Amino acid sequence: MAAPYPRQRSNTWYLANWPYRLFMLRELSAVFLALYTVLLLLLVTKVHAGPAAFAGYVHTLQSPLLIAVHVVVMAFALLHSVTWFQAVPKGLPIRRGEEPVPPQLVIGANYVLLLAVTVIVVVIVRV
Amino acid sequence: MRRSSEPLFWSLFSAGGMLTALLMPALILVTGFLAPAEWVEYERLEALVTNPLGRLVIFAVAFLTFFHWAHRFRHVLVEMGLRRFGLPIAVVCYVAALAGSAWAGVVALG
Amino acid sequence: MTNIPTAEQTVTLEIARYRPGVDQRPTLQRYDVPYREEWVVLDALNYLKDRVDGSLSYRWSCRMGICGSCGMMVNGTAKLTCAAFLRDYLPGPIRIEPLSNFPVERDLVIVLDDFMEKLTAIKPWIIRDAEQPIEQGEYRQTPAQLADFKQYSMCINCMLCYAACPVYQHEEQFLGPAVLALAQRYNHDSRDQGNADRYELIWSDEGIWDCTFVGECSTVCPKHVDPAGAIQQAKVESTIGWFRSFIAPFGRR
Repeated sequence: MAAPYPRQRSNTWYLANWPYRLFMLRELSAVFLALYTVLLLLLVTKVHAGPAAFAGYVHTLQSPLLIAVHVVVMAFALLHSVTWFQAVPKGLPIRRGEEPVPPQLVIGANYVLLLAVTVIVVVIVRV
Repeated sequence: MRRSSEPLFWSLFSAGGMLTALLMPALILVTGFLAPAEWVEYERLEALVTNPLGRLVIFAVAFLTFFHWAHRFRHVLVEMGLRRFGLPIAVVCYVAALAGSAWAGVVALG
Repeated sequence: MTNIPTAEQTVTLEIARYRPGVDQRPTLQRYDVPYREEWVVLDALNYLKDRVDGSLSYRWSCRMGICGSCGMMVNGTAKLTCAAFLRDYLPGPIRIEPLSNFPVERDLVIVLDDFMEKLTAIKPWIIRDAEQPIEQGEYRQTPAQLADFKQYSMCINCMLCYAACPVYQHEEQFLGPAVLALAQRYNHDSRDQGNADRYELIWSDEGIWDCTFVGECSTVCPKHVDPAGAIQQAKVESTIGWFRSFIAPFGRR
């Protein structure tokens, strides 16, 4: 019997359509989160080193480049939060008797939590 | 068939994913935008990073974020067509996360 | 058929053709078919096969989204062609290709041996340690127990999820979305006692752990089975089982 045409694979499959592109951006958000963590640890180092070192680092943070870096990092962090919250009810579905708890409810609860955490962090840092 | 050891890495990935989803926007807001706006005072930050709980949080955030990254990045590379290098990629990613965590431990202790 | 093509509206189809032993690779062939508002892609294929080109090969049976045999790539997206209306793809041309990630037998017909082997490997049937005697009656189930797996039992094995899965594309060993969803369907069935059997396979490296939750399997699923969710849940269960194995290494899995 003549051979079938073999299965094909593409190393650029993630460019093929928007769901795949979004998936790849979602996965790459981890790179930006790790990058930010390095910046965070540098900041902590400077705080430990004293007020002068911290003031110098704040000056560095004011550079347009680092502001731009943080804008990008924030965008990816939010992409991560949104996509992660969407995944939570997939992995941990809750059912009350026969009726599933609507995933939107679980996702909504996550957003409420995100907002609460953000307010708490800002309050701790400043107030 | 051998049971996968993936649950270990996946649980670190998941814990990191949940923590970063809830906490990272706030941290980025504070250190990336409020700090350069000089809205954050040194004394308060100093108190936070020397507080035992503060040290623990800094270490936990870094540790889980690095392992979250390692797991995701490893799978991204594999899915970009590098599956035949799956094992070395995994080793490099997790060792990098371990090294990053060690550094985070030193930083958190101050 | 009363629809005789006249100088009326037509739509162009670009159909992948592959003749084994003759063609080096699939090529696209263009056909014009009359446009009917109520026609699906499968109707257009049947029109072509009946009236224009009898050599065109494709699988189909029920025309109503139950048999799961008419899955193809329509403009690059995995679809049941019996549920893909021409009117949603106007003005065309509409590209019809065999399901991605499978070898092509001929034209739009894929080789599904790999899927069939994986399907039987996870034992998609109710496993009992011992059958209960008939006198004891049927195995009873509460509505809540039914709700625990019903969604996964809707799978019609159409393999659209495999065509949408880039992980399966890159790792042929990966059990894949439908098979893993079916494993959940039986593992969550209160009448079934075969979990340990299936765990061995689905908790291995070829099982759930290649999945990175791209999620397209659930998007293309015509039956709302949500294999991506099923696999996520299996990961959670496997992780709990993994940690528990340290606490009670000699206990029941």
